[in-house]
Amino acid sequence: MYKLIKSLISGNIDVVNKITDNKILSIPFDPDNTDYQAYLKWLAEGNTPLPADEVTQ
Amino acid sequence: MADIVVNGDTSGAVTLSAPAVAGTVTVTLPSTSGTMLTTASSTGISGSAISSGTVAEAYGGTGTTTGYYGFKSRIINGGMVIDQRNAGASVTNIAGAVYPVDRFYALGSQASKFTVQQNAGSVTPPAGFIKYVGVTSSSAYSLLAGDYFILGQAIEGLNIADLAWGTASAATVTLSFWVRSSLTGTFGGNFRNNAGDRNYPFTYTISVANTWEQKSVTIAGDTSGTWLTTNGMGINVSFGLGVGSTFSGTAGAWSGNNYLGATGATSVVGTNGATFYITGVQLEKGSTATSFDYRPIGTELALCQRYYFRKATGSLSAIGVGSYYSTTQIFTMFDLPVQMRATPSLDAASGTNYYKAAVNSAGDGFDSFTLDGVTTSLRVVLLTSSNVSGTVGWSAMVYADNASAYVGLTSEL
Repeated sequence: MYKLIKSLISGNIDVVNKITDNKILSIPFDPDNTDYQAYLKWLAEGNTPLPADEVTQ
Repeated sequence: MADIVVNGDTSGAVTLSAPAVAGTVTVTLPSTSGTMLTTASSTGISGSAISSGTVAEAYGGTGTTTGYYGFKSRIINGGMVIDQRNAGASVTNIAGAVYPVDRFYALGSQASKFTVQQNAGSVTPPAGFIKYVGVTSSSAYSLLAGDYFILGQAIEGLNIADLAWGTASAATVTLSFWVRSSLTGTFGGNFRNNAGDRNYPFTYTISVANTWEQKSVTIAGDTSGTWLTTNGMGINVSFGLGVGSTFSGTAGAWSGNNYLGATGATSVVGTNGATFYITGVQLEKGSTATSFDYRPIGTELALCQRYYFRKATGSLSAIGVGSYYSTTQIFTMFDLPVQMRATPSLDAASGTNYYKAAVNSAGDGFDSFTLDGVTTSLRVVLLTSSNVSGTVGWSAMVYADNASAYVGLTSEL
């Protein structure tokens, strides 16, 4: 499952985490990143990621 | 007159012989005094004429008529020496890709059909090599039509741009490698582009079981299709370990079909315990397989780190200096050793107190990280999971503190 991440610095949602057992893949929104390309394909298949948590400062 | 004979002052003679062919050949002598080059065996000059011949590698030449300098082999880590992820440990294949050594993927349509490991089986590598990658079949699996199990490398487009594939000037390339298997017969492989709509299946023969053999495959470059010359995937070279009929094509020809292997090739995963070892993988411009392109270990590692960088592994492995952004979260920043191909993903283990922040004479434990969006291909910013407990503004040395913990950055193709 993917979960969106909001940057504490920019306040933008620009990372998505793919969480599996005992491992995390934290993926930046870079079109050249193949993990991000896989995420976009997953989205295109009609899936929806978990929403980002609200940033607390 | 076929010959001109010039007699020496006291003895001997030099004979100039005309070739026994039609037409006129002009030989221009040097305009300065000196001694002309002598025999091929002593100078390394070979060929019918110096201007069109080759200089053997042993004499500092290229051994080919095309010549090359610098980045001869487009394969990175072809000697299988770098293994940042596993440090030589065995990996079981998944339905997807794993990386048994740097830059080489093992791709499967189904999980747990083989294991793959640097120096699996601990056999002696071919002379001049110290490492190889070894595949061991986990069962006698009968391939389904849509199955594929392959070992290969995706080459960045920027590193093959001079081959001009996809144009009328497409260059011929030669793939060479050392291979050893418990099986004999016809084995297969494939060249493909990023879109998967240009493919060239190839075959080679392993003649003797459990014996290293060097193979080479020369193919004319593809004059059709789109071959990326960007930081995307340029050429994907793979070796078949078992490919079903859906993804197998006729060897020796370019095709617009989506292939991953050659029709009729041996399935390694089809025999329980079968082995397939490979090293010395080289892809070079030209029609001749030349000697392996040994590069300094630091250079080879840096080439690998453009695609994967292991920052920390195991206990007491430093990651960087951070500071408490809030009472429950720490930012940590570090530079990457080389600019990565793209902004990398964070690939990290997660577990209770796998990591710690050394602060105020104690270790403040936390479970994992996430990447912050300000990360670039040159600099990484990590944010801890929200279970630290500190004072805003404090700084801390952040480190892995569990044997299973690791932090890696990946921008593989």
